[in-house]
Amino acid sequence: MKTMFRAALMGLVLTGSAGFSAQAFPVKAGQGSYSDPGITDDTIKIGLFAPLSGPAQAYGEDPLNAARMWYETVNSMGGIWGRKIELVIEDDRCNANDLVAAVKKLVEQDKVFMINGGSCSAAAVAAQEYVTRAKVPYVMLNASGDGALYPPTDYIFGAISISQRAVGGTAVDFATRHLKGKKIGYINHDDAYGAWNLETAEFTAKEAGATLSVESINPNITDVTAPLLKIRAFNPDVIILTTYARPATLILKKAHELGMKMPIILTVTGTANLKQLVDNVGTKDAFKNFYVQDVINDTPDGPKQKWVLDMYKKRYPELAAKPDHPTPYMPYGIPAAQTVTHALLLAGPNPTREGVARIMRSLTFESGVMAGLISYGENDRAGQESSIFLKFDGDKQELQPGVYVSRWVYKP
Amino acid sequence: MDWQVIWLFLQQGVASGLVTGSIYALLAVAIVIIFKTTDAPNFAAGELFMAAAYVALYLLVFLALPFVAVVPISLGIAFIAAALFYRIVLQKIGSSAAVTVNVVIATLGLSFVLKGLVRKTGVGDVPRSFPSIFGNDTVMIGQAVLTMQDIGILVLAVLSMTIFFLFFNFTRTGRAMRAVGMNPKAAVLVGINLRRTRMLIWGLSGLLSSLAAILIAPKILMTADMGSVVILGFAAAIIGGFTSLPGAVLGGIIIGVVENLVGLFISSRAISVAPFVAIMLVLVLRPQGLLGGKVAVKKV
Repeated sequence: MKTMFRAALMGLVLTGSAGFSAQAFPVKAGQGSYSDPGITDDTIKIGLFAPLSGPAQAYGEDPLNAARMWYETVNSMGGIWGRKIELVIEDDRCNANDLVAAVKKLVEQDKVFMINGGSCSAAAVAAQEYVTRAKVPYVMLNASGDGALYPPTDYIFGAISISQRAVGGTAVDFATRHLKGKKIGYINHDDAYGAWNLETAEFTAKEAGATLSVESINPNITDVTAPLLKIRAFNPDVIILTTYARPATLILKKAHELGMKMPIILTVTGTANLKQLVDNVGTKDAFKNFYVQDVINDTPDGPKQKWVLDMYKKRYPELAAKPDHPTPYMPYGIPAAQTVTHALLLAGPNPTREGVARIMRSLTFESGVMAGLISYGENDRAGQESSIFLKFDGDKQELQPGVYVSRWVYKP
Repeated sequence: MDWQVIWLFLQQGVASGLVTGSIYALLAVAIVIIFKTTDAPNFAAGELFMAAAYVALYLLVFLALPFVAVVPISLGIAFIAAALFYRIVLQKIGSSAAVTVNVVIATLGLSFVLKGLVRKTGVGDVPRSFPSIFGNDTVMIGQAVLTMQDIGILVLAVLSMTIFFLFFNFTRTGRAMRAVGMNPKAAVLVGINLRRTRMLIWGLSGLLSSLAAILIAPKILMTADMGSVVILGFAAAIIGGFTSLPGAVLGGIIIGVVENLVGLFISSRAISVAPFVAIMLVLVLRPQGLLGGKVAVKKV
């Protein structure tokens, strides 16, 4: 555990900061007057937000808990350049209006230095225009937020969990390389999410010489007979589902009813609660040839995730004792907070918003949590673009070899 | 696409469409009987449907009652709750001016209350499965695959609609309901208790919604938003003619089948718009709906 934790703390790969002498949390604070709000000689104020109430609470509460425990850990080690992180927490209710209102409050009333939050992509993307105008660095919590990442802008950074583009690309990569699929049935949503993951899925399939048969469905679909029958008529080697949990459940049930035996891969978009998925499908027989995508560096209870789990149990013993806790999304909050603390660290003893944003645009580090590096670039505002895959039989998850990295690159 | 595939798609599309269509038909009947007697659409129909499903889930899973008890108790609760809503809320509204608008707003209010109540329990936040009454063993009809649940849905939906047809046409209470639908003032003049009859209609509408919920919940999964299915019930009612019960049934079946055939022969993306294209076509070609009778022109 100690090794992993140290790796996470010290894991700055200073690709964009050549010459910087890496010291994890220097104790000497900057002094004097500051051009940006939210920073004093002793403190730096961060606005942290997520859906903490309403139907999407489960998506945001635990990632926010994880981010908070990371910030507290940094404070317990002396803060950053001697400054303690002061958090101002808001509830965005997974709603674009509420999220933008929360961001405005944090920036204009609470005078935070930078913001870290958002678990729902559509809501998080809505803040892009404001933070760009206000020139406030914004690191998303666990929203993928592809809509605000491409084309890249200067102050908004997301996809700490994984970008939708990487979801589709890495799933096809796994289907072609590991499962040797040449004909792939691909079911996505008929919304922007679906279009984003399909873009890279097609790119990767073309690279691998595989053929995709695509069925785009409405997220509220009630009868999946038609799309699944068309996929069956295509006779695919593998089926990839990039849908949410509810349509994925309907598809798995129907595929089982129709006697479809080929491997099915469910991407991270639909894997929030695998036990619930099995209960809802109603039979473990439907999971005989079933794989799930994950974006962390191990199985949720694997050795590489132990330090995260231990930290959570220590900080939130009552929550950890509750059923279904921590949620599968919990670990994503840590790299989001790490992105903030690492950027602040690299920005030096007298950080400015502009300086932090500039550092972030070339920040790369190993989180010790996620499947791949958290890495930004000149044309890349998506932090994490790698996946692992687990074979899931309805009970146990078995890690499949390899980490699959998206090869799709945004071209302006 | 070769002929074998086309023939398979047709068989499966029609068979599955009949199953889902029969549920839309039940919901459409629940909507139409209220519209016929109050002249206002019930915008809480979806949430009544959703809440009824959660009541049944509570009885079945948390109280561990057997299906034979769950079904009648759920239907009974839905009947009483809907009838009470009419008695306590709508009857009061009925005595005020601008009745129709107020009734619509009241039903919208009910929809928010029911959704909020289900969310408050915490069970509505994640998709949940409702156990199948008839099991999930599959049967082949031609080349089409249906589950026993599908067959059960179709049989029970047709049976219940037949019972409703007989009730409305051959019982004194049913005829009284039709009379209230045709001309409430004349119905009162011949001795029909308007309030009691309307309360009974609301109760029956709740009962139908509950039946539809228990039948379809194992197929669509339960969430607090599952009531959105009722939009297809409205679509079915519009296609059939908003005041015609047989039309509502026909509209439901048409929508169920059209959804599948459009998905199979045009595009999966078009499934969600197909019912609304069908509505537009019907409204343009036959504004009163397929079985809506002659267009009535009101003289002012």
